[in-house]
Amino acid sequence: MTDTSRSLLGLRPAVLAAAGLAAYGLSAGTSLAAPAAAPVKNGASQVSIKLTGNTCKVDHSTAKAGPVTFRVTNVSATGITEVELLQNLRIVGERENLAPGLPASSFTVTLDGGRYTVYCPGGKPENQPFTVTGKAAPSPGGSAAQLLAAGTKSYAAWVSSQAEAMRTAVNALAKAVNAGNLSEAKKNYVLARPFYEKIESDVDGFVMPGFKATDNHGNLDYLIDMRASNIDKKVGWSGFHAVERDLYQRGAITSKTKSYANALKANVGTLVTVVKKLSYKPEDLGNGAAGLLEEVQANKITGEEEAYSHIDLVDFSGNLEGAQQAFANLQPGLAKIDKALAATVDAQFTKARDALNAYRDASSPGGYIAWTTTNRKKYAKKLSRAVLALQRPLQRIAQKVATGT
Amino acid sequence: MSPEGEEGRGLRRRQLLTGGAAGAAGVLLGVGGSAVARSGSGPDSRDEVDLDRTVAFYDQAHPAGIATEPQRYAVFMTFDLADGATAGDLRSLLALWTAAIAQMAEGKPVGPVAPPGDSSTGTDTGEALGLVPASLTVTVGLGPGIFDDRFGLAAKRPALLARLPALPGDDLDPALSGGDLSVQACADDPQVAYHAVRNLARIGQATAHTRWVVMGFGRASAGKHQQTPRNLLGFKDGTRNLKTSAERDQFVWLRGRGWMRGGTYQVVRKIRMHIENWDGDPISDQEQIFGRTKVEGAPLTGAEEFDTPDFARRDAAGRPVIDPLAHIALAAHENNGGVRILRRSYNYTDGLNAEGLLDAGLLFIAYMNDPRHFVTLQTRLGASDLLNEYIQHIGSAIFAIPPAPRRGGYIAQALFG
Repeated sequence: MTDTSRSLLGLRPAVLAAAGLAAYGLSAGTSLAAPAAAPVKNGASQVSIKLTGNTCKVDHSTAKAGPVTFRVTNVSATGITEVELLQNLRIVGERENLAPGLPASSFTVTLDGGRYTVYCPGGKPENQPFTVTGKAAPSPGGSAAQLLAAGTKSYAAWVSSQAEAMRTAVNALAKAVNAGNLSEAKKNYVLARPFYEKIESDVDGFVMPGFKATDNHGNLDYLIDMRASNIDKKVGWSGFHAVERDLYQRGAITSKTKSYANALKANVGTLVTVVKKLSYKPEDLGNGAAGLLEEVQANKITGEEEAYSHIDLVDFSGNLEGAQQAFANLQPGLAKIDKALAATVDAQFTKARDALNAYRDASSPGGYIAWTTTNRKKYAKKLSRAVLALQRPLQRIAQKVATGT
Repeated sequence: MSPEGEEGRGLRRRQLLTGGAAGAAGVLLGVGGSAVARSGSGPDSRDEVDLDRTVAFYDQAHPAGIATEPQRYAVFMTFDLADGATAGDLRSLLALWTAAIAQMAEGKPVGPVAPPGDSSTGTDTGEALGLVPASLTVTVGLGPGIFDDRFGLAAKRPALLARLPALPGDDLDPALSGGDLSVQACADDPQVAYHAVRNLARIGQATAHTRWVVMGFGRASAGKHQQTPRNLLGFKDGTRNLKTSAERDQFVWLRGRGWMRGGTYQVVRKIRMHIENWDGDPISDQEQIFGRTKVEGAPLTGAEEFDTPDFARRDAAGRPVIDPLAHIALAAHENNGGVRILRRSYNYTDGLNAEGLLDAGLLFIAYMNDPRHFVTLQTRLGASDLLNEYIQHIGSAIFAIPPAPRRGGYIAQALFG
């Protein structure tokens, strides 16, 4: 199952806050005259950051409110590959992939008056205060934080809509199973699966009211999606994959199959009410998207998820869509923080989707070729590479959009 | 937890993190410094492994990991640039790799292992924390594909870099051959070497796909101060290898004014050995195949390892003492117009093959200033070597090794000027 981090518990971000505050205290106590504000050019304050050896040198520690351009040059700092600007605990702007010898690169952010921290991971000093004075006109279209907050709301609504669509599809599956109609049941199984795969990154919240997360009796993810390989004997097996086994391996619907399908129907009904109450932080979307791709690598490309029906690529498509949906909701805010990263992830999503599209087959159930051992041997490496190329930049997003509260 | 509590806890953690990192770096530097002073010591220290030793990476006349006395372990991996990768992606990758190699060669992580923030992923993967540099060298090579039409670099193709021609006896598996980039990581601690390749692969995850990898052990070549080691056939390997800087100047390093000056070419062959069959072959036959004695490693015309083989000598019956088709006869520079190459090979094993036989052999790595020298040698060996009954060339690749980067720059920077 996806192991997404539930939410920020505040421990590690507190480290930053503490370090930042300590740095302010030091600077307040030792400064004699107010430092000069960064010069303004082309309407933006210009701050230069130079990385040399293991030092991180910022040429101005204050700027006027408004657009501020940070130009980062890595002269010879082999251990520093990124620089971030933080406010409270949030990253408001950053540059990655800095290495000695590459041309200087810059990021521009519109800053309102307040205290910020320039963070050079691995550098000296690692954190240094940056003060902005005055008041800036609100950023057109809203600040990164506002855009991200709006994105989480729209994502929550999308998750609910997917859960509702799943309920409809699962009801049809249960109806076909109860009628003993094998071919109709298989058809509806394939139709119902992608909905779960799109939203399974949010399983941390998929817990029935009144149950502990560790108790599988109330763990909706367990009850809905558990595979034969990982059964909790105290709770037993039902859900999608128990139905799948009967439909595809046994090729028969028994009274047990019916009880599996009816339990699935009931649990998906509960899930719909549970997800409506869930809310998300931006980093949940980032972690969730990364988690869905881990699912793809670990269980779909390996053919473990749909061991009987071999519709793993249908699930793959669902995972990918879920990740892309989460990313799309972060993208406007992320682009304000790290335009290059947002563009890279966007491009890699397109590449991953293109790679998967190569295995579309309109004549197969679910629209993709059956993920049999033979096909896996032939094509798995190609798909795995495309996913890997997306995973690395995607894994960096959660930290960039983290609210830090 | 109260805000004060969180803050206090955060501060302690921060101090631990930075304090620990600084402390570790200090210790490493201190020890490295004394090791450098020791490393030039004489023959008494031969084959002694000093795990604190570091090998200089920047600002060298030649790239590290070639003339460097062979470390005990190697991980060799090749990569293909992803579809759609641009010259800018390649440049960024080489610059990030260079920075990471510089860090690791000093025994430092490539970046924070546990950066703050619940949603952060580590920059370094961490498994080499607390390990010493172990003479780590990482040598990066550029395959012929770098200079095809993908990156606009065709005009800068190193003059002699081209795919190797088909050679006699080739039994190459495409999955074990070729690549746009090569990484040879050598160290006296296998985990240090593996950590290096793993982290470079991770840095390249979106740009460069892994292609093939061989993990080498028991260096099968010797430096000047080292005893001649043995390959998995049980014979000494590299007795007549290039050992002096004058020889390397003549046969290894590229001269001239081009951007590759000071660099070289790397030819890699994965050579499977039919171990069980070999082990059943009588020693006298094995010695005839090699042209050397097994224990001492002396040529069959001599008594000691470093005696010069006499390929002309005949026995009482008039037969050559060293079979003209013996491995050392076909490979000898005397019989190849003076051609020599620097071998820097490692033994490898891939466990068991599908038939349950020992799957092992030699990761042959050689450096030369003209790849045609390898072609000359292998054309003869592949066609006639008595050893061919027991070996199989299953993988092959060629790369150009750019000169050592300067501090503040990166490997192959001249390509992007």
